[in-house]
Amino acid sequence: MAEKTMGGAGASRTSYQRYPRVRIREMKDDYLKFELRDTDASMANALRRVMLAEVPTIAIDLVEIEVNSSVLNDEFIAHRLGLIPLTSDDAMSMRFSRDCDACDGDGQCEFCSVEFFLSVRCDSDQTLDVTSADLQSTNPRVCPVDVAANALSSAADGYESAEQKGIIIVKLRRGQELRLRAIARKGIGKDHAKWSPAATVTFMYEPQIHINEDLMETLTLEDKRSWVESSPTKVFGIDPNTQQVVVIDAEAYTYDDEVIKKAEAMGKPGLIEIYPREDSFIFTVESTGAMKASQLVINAIDILKQKLDAVRLQDEESDMKELTSHLGNL
Amino acid sequence: MLLISLNGFLILCCSHLVSCRYAAPIKVDIEYTKGNQPNKNPEVKRGLVIGRMPIMLRSRRCVLSGKDEAELSKLGECPLDPGGYFVVKGTEKVILIQEQLSKNRIIIDTDSKGRVTASVTSSTHETKSKTVFFMDKDKIYLQLNQFSKPIPIMVIMKAMGMESDQEIVQMVGRDPRYGGLLLPSIQECASERIYTQQQALDYLDGKVGSSNSARAGNRKEGLAKAILLDVFLANVPVFRGNFRPRCVYAAVMLRRMLDAILNTDTFDDKDYVGNKRLELSGQLVSLLFEDLFKSMNAFALELVNRAYEHASRSSPLDFIHYIKQDFITHGLEKAISTGNWDLKRFKMHRKGVSQVVSRLSYIAALGHMTRISPQFEKTRKVSGPRALQPSQWGMLCPCDTPEGEGCGLTKNLALMTHVTTDEEEGPLISLCHSLGVEDLGLLSGEELHAPGSFLVIFNGLILGKHRQPQRFASAMRKLRRCGKIGEFVSIFVNEKQHCVYVASDGGRVCRPLVIADKGISRIKEHHMKELRDGVRTFDDFLRDGLVEYLDVNEENNALIALYECVNDMDDSEDDIKKSCITHIEIEPLTLLGVCAGLIPFPHHNQSPRNTYQCAMGKQAMGNIAYNQLCRADTLLYLLVYPQRPLLTTKTIELIGYDKLGAGQNATVAVMSYSGYDIEDAIVMNKSSLDRGFGRCIAMKKYSVLKEIYGNGTSDRIVRPRKDKDNQRMQILDGDGIAAPGEIIRNNDIYVNKETPINTRDKTGGPMGLKDEDYKRTPAVYKGPEGETTVIDRVILCSDTNDKLCIKFIIRHTRRPEVGDKFSSRHGQKGVCGTIVQQEDFPFSERGICPDLIMNPHGFPSRMTIGKMIELLGGKAGVSCGRFHYGSAFGEPSGNADKVEDISYTLVKHGFSYSGKDFIYSGITGYPLQAYIFMGPIYYQKLKHMVLDKMHARASGPRVMLTRQPTEGRSRDGGLRLGEMERDCLIAYGASMLIFERLMLSSDPYQVQVCRKCGLLGYYNHKLKTAFCSMCKNGENISTMKLPYACKLLFQELQSMNVVPRLKLVEA
Repeated sequence: MAEKTMGGAGASRTSYQRYPRVRIREMKDDYLKFELRDTDASMANALRRVMLAEVPTIAIDLVEIEVNSSVLNDEFIAHRLGLIPLTSDDAMSMRFSRDCDACDGDGQCEFCSVEFFLSVRCDSDQTLDVTSADLQSTNPRVCPVDVAANALSSAADGYESAEQKGIIIVKLRRGQELRLRAIARKGIGKDHAKWSPAATVTFMYEPQIHINEDLMETLTLEDKRSWVESSPTKVFGIDPNTQQVVVIDAEAYTYDDEVIKKAEAMGKPGLIEIYPREDSFIFTVESTGAMKASQLVINAIDILKQKLDAVRLQDEESDMKELTSHLGNL
Repeated sequence: MLLISLNGFLILCCSHLVSCRYAAPIKVDIEYTKGNQPNKNPEVKRGLVIGRMPIMLRSRRCVLSGKDEAELSKLGECPLDPGGYFVVKGTEKVILIQEQLSKNRIIIDTDSKGRVTASVTSSTHETKSKTVFFMDKDKIYLQLNQFSKPIPIMVIMKAMGMESDQEIVQMVGRDPRYGGLLLPSIQECASERIYTQQQALDYLDGKVGSSNSARAGNRKEGLAKAILLDVFLANVPVFRGNFRPRCVYAAVMLRRMLDAILNTDTFDDKDYVGNKRLELSGQLVSLLFEDLFKSMNAFALELVNRAYEHASRSSPLDFIHYIKQDFITHGLEKAISTGNWDLKRFKMHRKGVSQVVSRLSYIAALGHMTRISPQFEKTRKVSGPRALQPSQWGMLCPCDTPEGEGCGLTKNLALMTHVTTDEEEGPLISLCHSLGVEDLGLLSGEELHAPGSFLVIFNGLILGKHRQPQRFASAMRKLRRCGKIGEFVSIFVNEKQHCVYVASDGGRVCRPLVIADKGISRIKEHHMKELRDGVRTFDDFLRDGLVEYLDVNEENNALIALYECVNDMDDSEDDIKKSCITHIEIEPLTLLGVCAGLIPFPHHNQSPRNTYQCAMGKQAMGNIAYNQLCRADTLLYLLVYPQRPLLTTKTIELIGYDKLGAGQNATVAVMSYSGYDIEDAIVMNKSSLDRGFGRCIAMKKYSVLKEIYGNGTSDRIVRPRKDKDNQRMQILDGDGIAAPGEIIRNNDIYVNKETPINTRDKTGGPMGLKDEDYKRTPAVYKGPEGETTVIDRVILCSDTNDKLCIKFIIRHTRRPEVGDKFSSRHGQKGVCGTIVQQEDFPFSERGICPDLIMNPHGFPSRMTIGKMIELLGGKAGVSCGRFHYGSAFGEPSGNADKVEDISYTLVKHGFSYSGKDFIYSGITGYPLQAYIFMGPIYYQKLKHMVLDKMHARASGPRVMLTRQPTEGRSRDGGLRLGEMERDCLIAYGASMLIFERLMLSSDPYQVQVCRKCGLLGYYNHKLKTAFCSMCKNGENISTMKLPYACKLLFQELQSMNVVPRLKLVEA
């Protein structure tokens, strides 16, 4: 398992520095589950918020429609195009179009934008699905995520799955046509949800479960079973050999207090104690596919660092400014 | 396709739609003689068109009837559209169902003076009259409009040939109590010395009202007899002057009246639904047609008569030329388009009979078709007619009624209600006779009320009596069940009145019920299987006598169970009850109408909440019809991503709301957040809005007419000149008309139109005009500033006067903003209070983040438990992948999921049984202190949006007359400081503020006042002096400021010879 320390800001005064640890539990392209230990909720939440809102991605931002005789209107299609996740591995190095020097603010240069073309016309009697696969990108590194995934899988496995048809944009009937030019730009989730790379980022406190074994032994097997059943999620189980109540999956516990209530109802308060561990979190990150979930976390940490650096710089500057301004007033 | 949409309305794409009315020719065969050739064979003309009858959509004569979904969509019509409206002058019009008191029935009531009355409103093809018997000071009188004074009832009886008092008393009934009550009336008659028919008639002649006698030219003889024949109880037929049926009828009226005096229980309830008749559009149109047809004939006759006077030999008179075709067409069209039903013959003047179909949402249109317009004017402050009637059960929706003045008066049909139409009477009458009804003519008064025998009353007409009423009724019902007589004939045995009422008249409300034998349903499992397999239809059930229609009266003879008794081994007491059950409800949810049917678990809500939802469901945005994008309504609101509710009801599936939804399933967290959620405001997730939640399209129609003027000139639309005014004309095409797909902004020109300066005098035609002869009159778009609106479509068509009409459909896609109105399906509306970033929103450890947050204070006082169950059911639905149901009272029959089962499903999928989740704060990352009730609820976006309402003004346009700021948002008006606000300021003593608001900010004006005469002078700009025109000098002039409206008042007063003089004092 990869273990990694997060670079703490090395302040030299009395050090409250912590050394958070990350332990990755499960890693897929679009899914990551890791533990974050030895830090507090503010840190965990900051990481979550950055992942949701401030990790930049690329998404279609401007659509010029040439021909649209489909049933959906122009804005409708533009909105749908915007929500298609694009592979954004280069997003971190790309420029925001608003502070791009290469183009005079119109955001149409190669440093800050990617151009897409779409031109579909239905000439058959069957309805034609216009999907993300029909989007022609000018930059091969930026394309709809499902297209990229298909390309990878077909390259690796050699067969194309029939059901992966891409993200449907609109359906065309005979004679209808859609032709447009779209420009994708870099942006962050704070501005619009289409730039958010994360489908889901959530964390939970790791529960600490203490079963009072002595009290538990006073229960009959029947009681134990009903007590175990009382949890809506499968947290506890009964060891078939020893017939003891064991914790199967502590993290399945949803802090619903059902088992505690049940224990009280059974007249055995204190049968179990569950505390959240305030300094360790279990993160679940699901990516839209714009970038790998692991990359998302790394990018988020980078951005968090940048932000902290900015705060520190600003802090020092503004402290001076404030002081001087105060002195100036006096 | 668009070319067919004449007059701005895309209607049926069928060839016979000329000038945008949907009407069919009325063809008649006429026979007449031509010229002066009486002995020749009469001329026969077949298929002469005398006018055009508007056709109700989806009626049997409509081209769309009987078409399946594919055919309808080929025609560009929505298969879910209910029809039931007319298309007149390019608009869709519904003729509302009119509620009325039933005609030709005896109604016992008390009048405003507390007198017992028996009244009959007679309505036949020829006449309409109202006959009232009332008891005043123990004596009974008749009141009839034709008589100037009330007539003693005994005189009437004698005038009709019942000279013997004994006979009258016998006919009323031999019970001595009746005799006692009748005695004063008999005495009064005797004291007037009226013993014979002739004496009575003579007496009546003297009482005939002045208006009648004037018409008859002072000849009063025989007038009374004519009134008795034509007006008095006109619904009872009189053959060859034989008054006997009317005598019996009058006697029965008297008897019922006396019954009511003896026993107050027998009064009729005017609000009882069984005493009401609903008049449908067919009846209303037929009345109108009859009137128009007769006037057309009269008009034709007049024309022919006039033509005969100057008839020329050369061209023989042809009657056909005098039948004006457009008489009926225009009459019908005018009535339907204005809603004014003015019938001369019946003295009917009704307004607002028809309304424009509200197409705000699919439900609004559907609800409009089932609406019943009240008989009373809405301003009356009476509670009786507004109250919920028990007899309304299953017939009229108990929830769907507006708030405010129309509350309880305007009603809506329930889901399965059927309104009867007239049925032929003759066969039914003869059937009654053959089933043992003894004819009236053969019975003496004594026999009529013989104990044990019941009077048989058919459509308000006394047929005779029957000795075994129950047997008669069951025989009739058996015949009805096997389809020998119409399924809507009702047989009602009234034990109290000793009558059997048989009714086949139109306008009764009835509903189908399952027939049960001793509490056991006739519908068995195999029937239902056949229904599911499609072998059996509802009509088969009716034909096989498994289901029958009962009207409100006959329901009184039935014992209707809600569900079939499952347990056969009931105890004996219940068994007796069970054996009495004659019918079983088909489904309890049908007691609600279409609008209330959308509400999940309405039986768990406080009843006003359901009523509110019924009103709000009509304002919800969503899909209107499958052809919504081809329609050209003036205003259309659509939802971008409408959804089908996760928690549905059976009604929703029946009416197609699952196909044309008007809302979205939002994940709702019931918690307090940020303080921007007080007073029912909701907090929305910005990311949800980014992804399309609540996004809507507003389409508005603008039309420009290319006018043709009297002198042959016309407007012209010219190519935009590129040099000047270019900014505003950017979207114009080469033809001077804006192109579809262009983004149009405020103050953009969309038609570059020019109008000739001279539109009066003859010029050299349109070609002779030069460019200078035109002035620019471009069509300028006025829309919200800073919003991007797009031209969706441009329609070129010619209107009814063959002028070119250009119609623009301008589309605006809007995302929700702060202040937009949303509501759930439980009458819980709220505005969007604030929009919050997703990362600030609370989240669960599963990663669920709500779309909106609702404040829990919305629940305790509203008591909308249904909403909570909807949340639970919705949550269970998304987790197990099955739509859950919440039909009204559906738990026993499985049409609604039980909370227990829902909770079980929730637990199975790892949720708490209570629907509450453990939630982390998105701002701090700490868990919240409480478990949060969270799950999906179907939310509707209502049409009230901030963008259409927000308004502010600094300085701006003023009214010309008073120079005060204009009024209203549309005119960029000022915000009024009204009387009450003024009162507050006076009370506070903020006099300078009042001065500023009422004068300086409104209409300040400087006037010259003459100190001597006190009148207003003027300032002569040439001489640079002020001058008083009254005193003819400028010596005593002072300048002062006053509101312009004040100056206007002075001048207006002066124009009426009132002189207001100002007395000026040094301040």
